[in-house]
Amino acid sequence: MKFHLIIAAVLLFITGCKKDNKEPPSSTITGRIIYQGQPLSVRSGGVELELWQYGYQLRNKIPVYVKQDGSFSARVFNGSYKMTLLKGNGPWADMPDSIDVQVNGSVTADVTVDPYFIVHDVTYQRSGNNITATFRLQPVNTSRTLEAARLYIGQTTIVDQNNNMANASLPANQIPDFGQPVTITAAIPAALQNKDYLFVRVGVKTNGVAELLYSLPMGMSNK
Amino acid sequence: MKKKIFVICAVLLGLVVVSCKKDWLERTPKNILTDDQVWNDPKQLLSLLANFYNRIPSDMSIDANWRNMADYDDAMWSGNSNDEGRNNISSYATDRWNLWDYEFIRDINLSIEKLEELGVNLEADTKRELTAELRFIRAWMYFEMVRRMGGIPIVTGQLLYDYSGNVGPLQVPRAKEADVYDFIATEMDEIKDQLGNMGSGNAPSVSRANKYTALALKSRALLYAGSLAKYNNLRPQPITTPGGEVGIPASRAEEYYQKSLAASLEIINSGAYELKTNDANPAQAFYEAVTKKAGNREAIFVKDFLTAKNKRHGFTYENIARGIREDNLSSSQVVPSLNLVEAFDYLDGSDGEIKNRTPDGSDYIYYDQPQDIFANKDGRLLGTILYPGSTFKGYTIEMQAGVKVWNGSSYQTIEGGQLGSLYTDGKLLVAASGPHRSIQDVSNTGFYLRKYIDDGGGTSTRGIQSDVWMIRIRLGEIYLNAAEAAFELGNTTDALKYINTLRERAGFGPNSLSSLTIDKIRNERRVELAFEDHRVWDLKRWRIADQVWNGDAGNPQALVRALYPYRVIRPGDPRDGKYVYDKLQAPRILSARFFQVRSYYTFIPQAVLDNNPLIVRNPLQ
Repeated sequence: MKFHLIIAAVLLFITGCKKDNKEPPSSTITGRIIYQGQPLSVRSGGVELELWQYGYQLRNKIPVYVKQDGSFSARVFNGSYKMTLLKGNGPWADMPDSIDVQVNGSVTADVTVDPYFIVHDVTYQRSGNNITATFRLQPVNTSRTLEAARLYIGQTTIVDQNNNMANASLPANQIPDFGQPVTITAAIPAALQNKDYLFVRVGVKTNGVAELLYSLPMGMSNK
Repeated sequence: MKKKIFVICAVLLGLVVVSCKKDWLERTPKNILTDDQVWNDPKQLLSLLANFYNRIPSDMSIDANWRNMADYDDAMWSGNSNDEGRNNISSYATDRWNLWDYEFIRDINLSIEKLEELGVNLEADTKRELTAELRFIRAWMYFEMVRRMGGIPIVTGQLLYDYSGNVGPLQVPRAKEADVYDFIATEMDEIKDQLGNMGSGNAPSVSRANKYTALALKSRALLYAGSLAKYNNLRPQPITTPGGEVGIPASRAEEYYQKSLAASLEIINSGAYELKTNDANPAQAFYEAVTKKAGNREAIFVKDFLTAKNKRHGFTYENIARGIREDNLSSSQVVPSLNLVEAFDYLDGSDGEIKNRTPDGSDYIYYDQPQDIFANKDGRLLGTILYPGSTFKGYTIEMQAGVKVWNGSSYQTIEGGQLGSLYTDGKLLVAASGPHRSIQDVSNTGFYLRKYIDDGGGTSTRGIQSDVWMIRIRLGEIYLNAAEAAFELGNTTDALKYINTLRERAGFGPNSLSSLTIDKIRNERRVELAFEDHRVWDLKRWRIADQVWNGDAGNPQALVRALYPYRVIRPGDPRDGKYVYDKLQAPRILSARFFQVRSYYTFIPQAVLDNNPLIVRNPLQ
């Protein structure tokens, strides 16, 4: 009797050891959201692409979140995919066409978009407990109007509309001429005045589009 | 041996005799009910209806998912840390508010068909009334689905498979959003005069559908349709699908508002309901209008509970103010925010902002009693919320976050780690009801719920519990529906009349408002209907949810704010022993509420898309 129990236990142990029979996906798609070859900065986790794979009856999208520097990556199985932009999700004109991506190993697939506004030549100046950002706005797709330009100050490198310690906004009616540089000043909040570093970033808000287009966040030493 | 044979013969004979009975195997089962029995017995049908009424969903049902009250800007979570996520909603999930309950729809459709087919012994009137009631519940269900998902398939009969190998007839596409609202309106028009439950002496039933319940659903649904038609198309980028499953043409707004207004007026003018008033104590009147059943002529449709029948819930146990709880666990889980408190106007008509600092901001304003800062507020404030120094069940809600000690040039704030603790001067440091920054089951905002909290003895214990009902529709909402529809149609005079009626009950003088804006109407809705499952749906249909809850940590509307009372210690000064208040972001709130555009319509579940290729996705899905 005891012997049978031991055999049963050994059998259980052996069968329980069986490994997963599916390999995890190993191919990667990497890419950037670009305009004229330059990556566009967005809100961390705010902009989403979707991947659809061909050849199956039932399908569900694979959401691909764009990092704040405009890059993205996804780990998938080999196959042929379509990559699409969600309508109304990013600070650029809707693009109904999808991008075909053949994945076999690792591939790079940049997505060229048609932004409403882009931000150029950003410089920051600190005077006392104020930070002044100077930059140029360039309208690209003129089907929508400007709502505001904003300056954000944060404690970490993730700084945007939703993650910031302080911000200042300049409404569109105070930006009459896109040829001239735009200047925004924001006060550094008390909680950040004694930290070693703080991070700054400017964003441009288009009327009727939820997401902003940003500059790259920049760290500023407080010393 | 002989004896044995005799016995065997006797047994065999007995068997033969018994089995001779005709149709011996044809018996009425004792453990299941047959169709004939169910569909011809009014009592069986009543219990079927009870089941269906009980299944009508709500985003914040008093006996189930009331915790959702803590997810918006009227309140936050102060209870057990298991639900701490409610204080850190950095994005509303894409499947939040998901409702695709065609099981329930089928149950109703099946009942309607069986009743028609098999209910042959019922009186014609009974049959017509029951069918109308089932259609009412079905319409309400479609309303719940359309406000969450956008246009959904309208199925009004059983879908039966014919085993032909072709499932095409079973695949119903999504109806247009406008068509669903039209369907609800048409159904209500057809059944409103077939429904019974009118009670006696002009006191219609509040737990079963009658003519006015049908009109009330129509009033609300078409107001939704009207505002969707108007405000969605005012967005720079309207939220639509090409097939109209989401998005109602702007041209239909006026028609919807008119129909909604007509339905509201029919209820108001019927005289079947009246607002609960009490000129001496408007707060009590408002509390009773929602929470008390006895003599309540304001409720139109409720989900009722009854202790005597063991239909009870623990809402009072979970949410009663900490200092007056009767059980040793729980309490104070959902607590109202300063945002909501400030939405209540002052009785002189001025903006409801709480005045804790002098106008130039240089110093505190000192109050003799903790409750003095809330003097002359809208009576509905105390009808909805318990604030420091208010009384409930005969007890004073003592609240104090700590003391402020004057050190000669500024105040030093001292808080304690224990409720009910004393400061070194022998007087109170932290009150029994908090507020406290981190202790669970005590208010984190400085306020407690009063609406829906039972004031009966023992009702905040797990043993006794409460049978306070849950309002689905009451006359107060119908006045607001009428006011909003009239205002959108350009009839400000009438809109003012309805709003002022409600404000008069709240303690304002007659005709307290002389001009009106849409923002004012929206604010009235917020304060009148707080915690009655309206706020999130209203912000959605006005298409402002993504602006109010924009996720910006610098936006006070998107954060839940708190008001902490402190006792001043300044010996030898007239300000010693008085009370001051700090406004702050509620300490347990970690991120601003963030409602993204994609949340206006809940994503269609993947299983639904897989099962029916005709279903189109929602915008941004």
